[in-house]
Amino acid sequence: MSYDEMNSTKMDVLREIGNIGAGNATTALSVMLNSNLRLEMPVVKVLDFNEIPDLVGGADTIVAAVLTHFEGDISGMTLFILELEEAKNLIYTMLGKNDSEEFNEFDHMDKSALKEIGNILMSSYISSICTLANFHLHTDPPAICIDMAASVLSMPISELGQIGDKALIIDSKFLDNERPINGLLLFVADEDSFNHIFKSLGIGY
Amino acid sequence: MGEIIKVGIADLKVCRAPDQITTIGLGSCVGIVLYNTLNDICGLVHIMLPSSKGIKNNENRAKFADTGIEDLIHALERMGVMRQALIAKIAGGATMFQFTGKSDMGSIGDRNVIAVKEVLKAYGIRIVSEDTGADYGRTIVFDPVSKKLLIRSAGKAEKSI
Repeated sequence: MSYDEMNSTKMDVLREIGNIGAGNATTALSVMLNSNLRLEMPVVKVLDFNEIPDLVGGADTIVAAVLTHFEGDISGMTLFILELEEAKNLIYTMLGKNDSEEFNEFDHMDKSALKEIGNILMSSYISSICTLANFHLHTDPPAICIDMAASVLSMPISELGQIGDKALIIDSKFLDNERPINGLLLFVADEDSFNHIFKSLGIGY
Repeated sequence: MGEIIKVGIADLKVCRAPDQITTIGLGSCVGIVLYNTLNDICGLVHIMLPSSKGIKNNENRAKFADTGIEDLIHALERMGVMRQALIAKIAGGATMFQFTGKSDMGSIGDRNVIAVKEVLKAYGIRIVSEDTGADYGRTIVFDPVSKKLLIRSAGKAEKSI
């Protein structure tokens, strides 16, 4: 299969995987933050590399991103990305900081809080995919990066670039009613991995 | 005033004064500017992987250091630039994510820079200046008149090499 042969059934399946994965991730984060997060219906997209930064505000938008690799029956990576202001909101909610406190730069504690949030989100996302498709996957410890969207995304893009010129992305968006937290959770994997998912779910070719 | 020509990821373009040429947000990728001092023509390629060898899907030649630089040289020659006169400025090749685990994926930036230098050396093209490595992204703009490469990074002072 190539991305061009994706039919609507397969797109639906991926959207549903995104929905279940991100649904569990949202619940996990809501419990941790003691707030009421909502999840938008995930969007499945096949994008050219140059279009990917547009998902998060454009190539030169400053974003905070937490990235983790997963390996096992399939391999790939998940990224939790949000714009700087939203990352700040999320950290403040988690650490119970006040809005009025002056905000210049993320300190070590802020980064580590954000990394942990990303970790919880992505772990629950991956573990629901494991349950759904009966996969065994393990995740590496996550890493964080705060920089221009294009620079941050160069890492997953380079990895995908070894096998093609497009990326299949399941894009899930979270919203918090009180403070805007529009986080994106991206699930990025190669074609073989996606084929493996379809196969194990009994989706024919 | 000229225009600013944008080069995308895994893309290459040439430019002639008064235009300038840019690429946004180099992370682990490397931007290679080739120019000469005889005229106001230059070119920029934004590569993301060290080598096209051993990679099945390698039709997009601007994606790799070896084929990307080769094509940029040819594109400049077609505009009448002499290969012998070409010199280079390079930027990028950062390690954006610092993983504590065993994964060596973070070093893609380093490998890109090494590959770019090898390819340029093989063509006998001298690197006049560079700003590579470290852990931050770079937006670069080259002016073929002043021959200066402007580098912008988040939260850092603008510099020119």
